Amino acid sequence: MKTIYKKLLFLFLILPFSAFAQTISGVVLDGSSNQPLPGVNVIVKGANSSTTTDFDGKFQLNGLKNGDIVQFSYIGYTAQEVRYSGQKSLSISLMEEANQLQEVVVQVGYGSVKKKDATGSAAVITTKDFNKGANVTTENLLQGRVAGVTVNTSGAPGSGSEIRIRGGSSLFASNDPLIVIDGLPIENTTTTGSTSFLASLNPSTIESMTILKDASATAIYGSRASNGVILITTKKGGKTLSVDYNFQYGSGRLVDKIDVFSANEYRDLIQQRRPGDVSRLGTANTNWQDEIYRRTDLVDQNLSIRGNLFGAIPSRLTVGNTYQEGLRLTNKFNRSTVGLALNPSFLNDHLKFKVNANYTNEKNRFADGVEGGALAFDPTQPVYDANSVYGGFFQYYNPSNNELTPQTPRNPVAQLLQTYDTGISNRFFGNIEMDYKFHFLPELRAVINVGFDETNGERSRRAGADAASSGANNNIPYGTNEYTEENRKNKLLDFYFNYNKTFNELVFDATAGYSYQKIDSDKYMTGNVNDPNLATGPTGFPRLEVPFDTVLIGFFGRTNFTYKDKYLLTLTYRRDGSSKFDEDNRWANFPAAAFAWKVNQDFFKDSKLISDLKLRLGWGITGQQNIGNNNDYLQQYNIGSGSSQYYFGETPYPIAVSARLSDKLKWEETTTYNAGIDFGILNNRLTGAVDVFYKESNDLLADVATADGSNFSNRSWQNIGSFTTKGIELSLNADVIKRDNLNWNVNFNATTYQREITKLNADYIRVGENVVGTGTQAQAHFVGYTPNSFLLYKQLYDNAGTPIEGAFADLNGDNVINSEDKYVYRNPDPKLILGFASNFNYGNFDFYFNLRANLGNRVLNVVNASKAQYNLLNTGGTIGNIPTSVLDTGIVNQNSNNVLSDMYVENASFLRMDNITMGYTFPKWLDGKASVRLYTGVQNAFVITDYSGLDPEVTGGFDNTIYPRQRTFLFGANVKF
Amino acid sequence: MKNFKIFYLLLTLGTIISCTDDLNVVSEDPRTTTPEALFSSFEGYKQALAGVYGNLSLTGTGDAGSSFLQGIDAGTSQFGRTLWYLQNLTADEVVWSYENDEGVAELQRNTWTANNPVVLGFFSRTMAEVAFANDFLRQSTPELLASRGITNVNEVAEINVFRGEARVLRALAYYYMMDVFGKAPFITENNPVGFKGPQYNREQLFNFIESELAEVMPTLKDANTNEYGRLDKAVAQMILAKVYLNAEVYIGTSKYAECMTQCQNVMAGGYTLNTNYLNNFKADNHTSNEMIFTLQADGVRTQNYGATTVIINGQVGSFEGNGSEFGVGGWGGALRLRKQLVQKFDGGTFTNDARKTITDNNGARPIDITELTNAGQGHILHKFSNKTAAGVAGPNSTFVDTDFPLFRLADVYLMYAEAQMRKDGATNGSNVKNANTTSIGYINDLRVRANNGSSSANVGAGDVDLQFIIDERARELHWEGHRRQDLIRFGQFTGGNYNWTWKGNIQNGTSISDDLKLFPIPSNSIVANPNLTQNQGY
Repeated sequence: MKTIYKKLLFLFLILPFSAFAQTISGVVLDGSSNQPLPGVNVIVKGANSSTTTDFDGKFQLNGLKNGDIVQFSYIGYTAQEVRYSGQKSLSISLMEEANQLQEVVVQVGYGSVKKKDATGSAAVITTKDFNKGANVTTENLLQGRVAGVTVNTSGAPGSGSEIRIRGGSSLFASNDPLIVIDGLPIENTTTTGSTSFLASLNPSTIESMTILKDASATAIYGSRASNGVILITTKKGGKTLSVDYNFQYGSGRLVDKIDVFSANEYRDLIQQRRPGDVSRLGTANTNWQDEIYRRTDLVDQNLSIRGNLFGAIPSRLTVGNTYQEGLRLTNKFNRSTVGLALNPSFLNDHLKFKVNANYTNEKNRFADGVEGGALAFDPTQPVYDANSVYGGFFQYYNPSNNELTPQTPRNPVAQLLQTYDTGISNRFFGNIEMDYKFHFLPELRAVINVGFDETNGERSRRAGADAASSGANNNIPYGTNEYTEENRKNKLLDFYFNYNKTFNELVFDATAGYSYQKIDSDKYMTGNVNDPNLATGPTGFPRLEVPFDTVLIGFFGRTNFTYKDKYLLTLTYRRDGSSKFDEDNRWANFPAAAFAWKVNQDFFKDSKLISDLKLRLGWGITGQQNIGNNNDYLQQYNIGSGSSQYYFGETPYPIAVSARLSDKLKWEETTTYNAGIDFGILNNRLTGAVDVFYKESNDLLADVATADGSNFSNRSWQNIGSFTTKGIELSLNADVIKRDNLNWNVNFNATTYQREITKLNADYIRVGENVVGTGTQAQAHFVGYTPNSFLLYKQLYDNAGTPIEGAFADLNGDNVINSEDKYVYRNPDPKLILGFASNFNYGNFDFYFNLRANLGNRVLNVVNASKAQYNLLNTGGTIGNIPTSVLDTGIVNQNSNNVLSDMYVENASFLRMDNITMGYTFPKWLDGKASVRLYTGVQNAFVITDYSGLDPEVTGGFDNTIYPRQRTFLFGANVKF
Repeated sequence: MKNFKIFYLLLTLGTIISCTDDLNVVSEDPRTTTPEALFSSFEGYKQALAGVYGNLSLTGTGDAGSSFLQGIDAGTSQFGRTLWYLQNLTADEVVWSYENDEGVAELQRNTWTANNPVVLGFFSRTMAEVAFANDFLRQSTPELLASRGITNVNEVAEINVFRGEARVLRALAYYYMMDVFGKAPFITENNPVGFKGPQYNREQLFNFIESELAEVMPTLKDANTNEYGRLDKAVAQMILAKVYLNAEVYIGTSKYAECMTQCQNVMAGGYTLNTNYLNNFKADNHTSNEMIFTLQADGVRTQNYGATTVIINGQVGSFEGNGSEFGVGGWGGALRLRKQLVQKFDGGTFTNDARKTITDNNGARPIDITELTNAGQGHILHKFSNKTAAGVAGPNSTFVDTDFPLFRLADVYLMYAEAQMRKDGATNGSNVKNANTTSIGYINDLRVRANNGSSSANVGAGDVDLQFIIDERARELHWEGHRRQDLIRFGQFTGGNYNWTWKGNIQNGTSISDDLKLFPIPSNSIVANPNLTQNQGY
């Protein structure tokens, strides 16, 4: 890899220079305000001369010959052309273009096109469309705003989210989309010490996000594109000096709790059901769920400065800090970021650089998931006990020898307050892109992009020996002292040529290039050094884990044909190689094709009603190879740790056994067909898009049973199975009212999709977490059904509608109730996903809200399934609390069968109001030099749902307590200089 | 200009192509090693051999909770423990109190199905033994040894002995498959990794074991001469003896004379009965000269949730809390005795028998078990212990030092007697008393040892019929992984000839189907290897 850099440097040095003759100068003004327009592109068509207007709208062009056409263009304005016939100076007025949307730029990977020329299914969302609220992590900006995209974020501060584009395309491999920041594809792995891989990116640095949804758009990313691609572009340097300061304060609270018995209700319950245990009751009245949570603070600030550095380099510097507390006691997230963007251009814009450098420091204090413990703790016991040797917290222990009582719960508040689980992560990422337009051939450009992403993270977990929640030997806790450190490096080199030439009515654009990416990491862990039984040796502790490097190489090409500016054809091809597969199966080809027809240029050209109509058709094949760090085609021997040795005579030998092998493993492939219509009505007052798609994923990568005795484990990675997805997306954007002083814009999107498994190596494979203990997975991938469907027993009820405990329908009529009587009952996928946002401006006053709804999704209420049984009042060593839902079901016993009843599956359709914001702008602050917007708002204002659990929005449809989402009241200020 | 353009292009192409080699990544992980590195030295072969043996005691290379197998937890896939569950928990000796542990309730009530996780654990673990043995054989061929630079004559000779031992371990695995499932996928070192072995039935497995052990026998070390932890000729002979003793069950042909020959071979090997019966089940039982082959356990170096860890922790009574008697913490009364085992020690003859280690907490424990999950019902056992013969407890209160006695000499004595009687005409159900003097001599050796040297409990030819043999086997070998195999051979496991507490899920026991003589092939395993067919009744 080092040699690549050297060779590149050499390439740069042999670039030719050039310089030439006649000059013209002038000024460009805004047609309506007569203010000078900086940054306007001034190009001599067909020649190799171009420039942009400066801060005063002035420009100067050299190398002109009589007859040359000079073109003036600027985003949002109608372009103008002037024929040069010897003028010494020009004064140009540019008019704002009515159809601004058409000029929106869509990133398509290794280039960009205007939205009106896009042939694939892509959505662009820019700063003005982003959700307005407390957006701590980047994905919150687009939650509910794009058709086909769902974002599910947990309540933990700075936490990652589950992002799905069109439901994802994989069963066992990752369903996460590829995320590319300024051309650098980042790895979807969270480093030790950090909360998520996207948490290090400060949302305020983001200019726009392009979401590529269908294969014709994503195929350029070939082997990683099956789940869609999100291209994030950060704010570029600007030429004019502008300063933005944003400040936000939020105060958050717990919204709701799970219903368990209160202290007095509990006393009655024990009296009634377990009278022999009444002596175990305490005298306190504790609501344990209240005790583990607190009110939270959020302080988010960022400062962004743009200007011309040294008068020549457009730059942008952003500095930010986000401090967010979590609802769980002690949970904190603190992120500081510095981001720099430089966009100098040389040689009359023939040589342009984009330099991005970002540094993030993230400090976290993590808090354990004690929700389950808080639900089950006896409410008549106090939180604190001054006489307790365990830090002054109430615990169940024997005072004569301080031994913790076996089979009793541990105080959840103590666990949070006595555990110091902190992480620090330092991340440095960015890229340098060089774009050279050849002097001897201006239609040809060469682009080199070098990207880097390096993270160093560490996490340390400590608890004293007086913390009853730490590990114990013979019932005496020994405290926790653990340290983990991880380093990850991600390096990218992209190199491509782009050729763009217009031949009369045909515009031909071709791109061809090469991409190399290498990811390597290592992790060092000490384990809990206080544990007397800690395994030793290289596979014990302390140990260094060095997974295999991942190397991805791709060759790609794309051609765009545009005929008469009405008929567009895009052909893409990518050939990818991955180090995860053996040599025979390493390379795969990913072709794609898309065709678009601007129907309104042919049929509705003069229509007042239909201002835009474009038909898009696309087809493509994309791949998936993300199965974590597995290179199972290489045989490796694992060496036994200190406690996995075998004696020969008096000498213990660490055993050496082969790890499992997988061979002939290849890529997953997904083929997508997409048809869409983009339309605009009444001069684009109303715009929208409808897409219909069908995806088929084959050769799914799965970790499934392998023939016993043939391999070194009972499971190995294999390519088995296929599944299909079909769906429809609709998005609408309407300027309901558009006047000088009054604007109302609404945005609506709706998605429906259906996934179905068509082939597996067996009729079904059980998946998902266990409801209780082991062997009680409630979900399965079942052929003919949606992935992750619930596979449960059918509950029988009595005449009053109360479930009969342990009575299930004998569905196969063989008079035995066993696993053959389970059936597929619903699945977590929503039938319809809706999003709506409204932006209302009256004068200087603005009012915004956005809401989302999922309809038809099902959730398995595991809190009830695993905890709402009367026998759980006995924890073994003492008595514990249970959810009040047990009053409705009356279930007494828990065994591995009756927790798998279909009565625990609930309809979790919901409507959630994500943000409501109102603000007022003072436009002429500081003598008109600055404007200030003050605003207030609520995040997570309300949820409407029938789901009886805490929150209907649960990843994977498996609700076994979640980190609750807070409701935050926000106040903030945006200052612009 | 043109030349320049071409040059530029070629330069970039050259740069690009040189990088595709990077796709061949190599491991930098200090926790693993490549076969080339491991097998380049003699030590590596010894470690790999330790791996083949180790799979019988350990479940993974990390700690006791780690496992090479997935989808089942380490405890549910340890070889000794699952063998013990399938052979002892399903019969008349013992019950396990924690029925919400996966698969246990089905086993002790004889209601198991093809989804039983313990059955899956045993199937996968035993076949993994075959896989590891085959891998060792592939990696240690004479050609490979030469090409890897192992040329020292002594080392090559020793590795050849290792190869013999690996083949015996593979035969041992197939012996258990033949006994428990009646069939197995047959895979040798000549098949590639991933090969879906054809199904061998009992006859084919029987023939393979017989011929394989005969071929390997000369290469093995003589009985009682190999270092601790490794097997010798006696182990191979023991396997043959077991296979011949049960030949009528496996292939319908009796081979009792061959069984007697092998028993005599073992007995001539130099093993001797330990003067103290209980010393065979203590923390230092690896020093007992009665042990022919054990499954190792060590509280520090060979930690596992295996048979002896489970047995010793399980022995601790729920209200006795007598963990310190055994040198362990205990699991609150996990194991209790079914009354049939207790009753085999009834009567004055057994008052001083060291093999009777049963207590009932001065009458507080009822002999009848009405509720399987009630740890206070049923008598408890004190046979195994994590203390040495001198009374010193092992260093770890969870993971014991006590090895599990898979094969020991006392078993051979009883096998000889039984084989002789059957060869001379005794059949199940008849009370023919045809034990000869040698057989009576062996039985009395055990009695004398059990009675601390006294011959007061000795028997004569008129006392010994086949029913006596099966009962004496219970008294001598209970909880050692033999019971189900013995009961099947005597026609008392299935059917209604012998009903024990909770047999067939009825408290007083009931007849169970003959299909239950074989365990089902786990459903996942049949899916993964279509050559396998399910056993009848599942």
